[in-house]
Amino acid sequence: MAVIPATWDLYELLQAVVQAPTYHIVFEILLILWIIKLIFFSKSYALEKTVLTTKEKDELIEEWQPEPLVPDIPDTHPVLQALERNIITGRPDKYLNVNGRSCLNMATMNFLGMAGDQTIETEAIKCLRKYGVGSCGPRGFYGTMDVHLVLEDNLAKFMNCEEAILYSYGFATIASAIPAYSKRGDIIFCDEGVCFSIQKGLVASRSFIKFFKHNDMEHLERLLIEQQKEDKKNPKKAKVTRRFLVAEGLYIKHGDICPLPKLVELKWKYKVRIFLEESFSFGVLGKCGRGVTEHFDIPVDEIDLIAASLENSVGSTGGFCCGKKYVIDHQRLSGLGYCFSASLPPMLASAATQALTIMEANSAVLFTSLRENAEKIHDGLLQVEGMKLMGVPISPLKHLQLGEPGGDRDMDTRTLQKIVDEVQTLGVAMTLARYLEKEEHCLPQPSIRIAVSCKLTDTEIKNVIECTKKACQTVLNENSS
Amino acid sequence: MRYKSPPCETCGNREMILLGKDTVTRFENFKMQVGVTSSDDNPTHSYLNSRGIWLTYILIIFVAHLLFLSVPFFTVAFAWTLTNVIHNLIMFIILHVTKGTPWETPDQGIARTQTQWEQIDNGMQFTPTKKFLTTVPIVLFFLASFYSKYDPLHFMINALVLGFNLVPKLPQFHGVRLFNINKW
Repeated sequence: MAVIPATWDLYELLQAVVQAPTYHIVFEILLILWIIKLIFFSKSYALEKTVLTTKEKDELIEEWQPEPLVPDIPDTHPVLQALERNIITGRPDKYLNVNGRSCLNMATMNFLGMAGDQTIETEAIKCLRKYGVGSCGPRGFYGTMDVHLVLEDNLAKFMNCEEAILYSYGFATIASAIPAYSKRGDIIFCDEGVCFSIQKGLVASRSFIKFFKHNDMEHLERLLIEQQKEDKKNPKKAKVTRRFLVAEGLYIKHGDICPLPKLVELKWKYKVRIFLEESFSFGVLGKCGRGVTEHFDIPVDEIDLIAASLENSVGSTGGFCCGKKYVIDHQRLSGLGYCFSASLPPMLASAATQALTIMEANSAVLFTSLRENAEKIHDGLLQVEGMKLMGVPISPLKHLQLGEPGGDRDMDTRTLQKIVDEVQTLGVAMTLARYLEKEEHCLPQPSIRIAVSCKLTDTEIKNVIECTKKACQTVLNENSS
Repeated sequence: MRYKSPPCETCGNREMILLGKDTVTRFENFKMQVGVTSSDDNPTHSYLNSRGIWLTYILIIFVAHLLFLSVPFFTVAFAWTLTNVIHNLIMFIILHVTKGTPWETPDQGIARTQTQWEQIDNGMQFTPTKKFLTTVPIVLFFLASFYSKYDPLHFMINALVLGFNLVPKLPQFHGVRLFNINKW
């Protein structure tokens, strides 16, 4: 285009009009005609919308075949079979009524037998008569009853913390607590083996997540040193970045305990805040059931936030977080699960209070026998041939995996399911550990998840071990032949 | 016959009313909102009818053109073609590519599949705004042709970008996505 000379005077330009090529003039005349027609001869109008007559409407309605609300499922569908295989009636107590047969319950997380406790039931019913079933509102909006405050108070006292906050759903507790503190741009160091609710909390926080290998403190330290180096490069950014360390007290996916002393050491060394999820260690570990801090004899003040569910040992519903007052108070306006969910039904709050009272009164018996039972079961299950036992002896959560996994997840799951079915015919109810396989981070190997209760007697423990051995032998022999 | 209706009592907006076989009032985009003044969910429907916006638009084109002219090594012809091409590209992207309500969300995606052009004046055809927006690129084309001395290369470029802005403005192309381009 630079071939055209820099400037022309008006005369040259007018001269060019006269010499303009014909196609150009035709084109311009067409455009001028278009403009004239557009401006002077086009009336504005709205595009027609298709309006149906009543007859057409009726016909369309007549033609419409609604799809069934519930699709027709063949009776042989695996999900349907799984649903109908185990129909449980009555309360999931120490014994469970599966398909009309009473089985020893090794499947639900009723570690302290609170789910079958009579005094708890009486307390809950008493509260039900007073307040009715629901609380009819979130805590900040007419949903706070005295029982909630009493429970929060008791939990704080029990855990030796300044304050506790009560959530109405165990899963939502840690999933709300993490995003309440950690935001976009912050960094979370997290164990790979954390449970699903923590994973959801991590996603909701929108922070940078750095996973370290399960209970691998060297890997964690490497990540922390890396971060430290990066922070030195950009101190301005590092100053406004919060760093968190998320771990579970007792890992439900693995049945082992986090190395808390080392975590606390790293916390002070690299200046991170520790969030501890104690859903399965609260009411399980420690001399009085205060969880993993008591187990390692570490003051609770060293941990920035402890979150736990009340749905396992305590046998109620909901969850709580506890820690320093200024830390916990932040959640009363920022914990989404706290702000926007109806509060815990009062009767369940008073049930939890009663369970706490029992835990405090019988701590010597409850937790000692739970630990002993867990160790006994652990010793027994170690001897099961062809199977691999995961977890530490004192953990009441055990994962029994195939000793030689076949490599195909579905096949292994089916084999384990056969073992579970076999054990059930022998009078012991167990279950597979189930995951949302596509969404789970670091999916563990398929396993049978065994939950030990403190109420088990020695004969029952022996029975469980014998039955497991027998069932494994039967199924594995059948498979190999 | 078309005339501007008296302003709406609550929000002062004038809406087109058609007088024909039956009078059609187009208040469907005005929803009652409790506690606030009722307003149109979708500003694209009406912002091009606001006071002074046509003048602003023309001024922006000419300021841009003066900027191009002031670049030392740009010739007059090149500056005019550049003005025309850039104007038409921006117009094409803003009016005929961008869909939905880019800045406001309260319409909840009702206009998600409509281009900005299709939303102007609630999708009515040949409204003053639409006539104005059709005339501007044509006039720019005339100017660019005149100042480039009807050069064939300049003609081709200018006519091509003009086509991109005239064809989608035809009522026949309302809601049409050629080859499903930009359909979803």
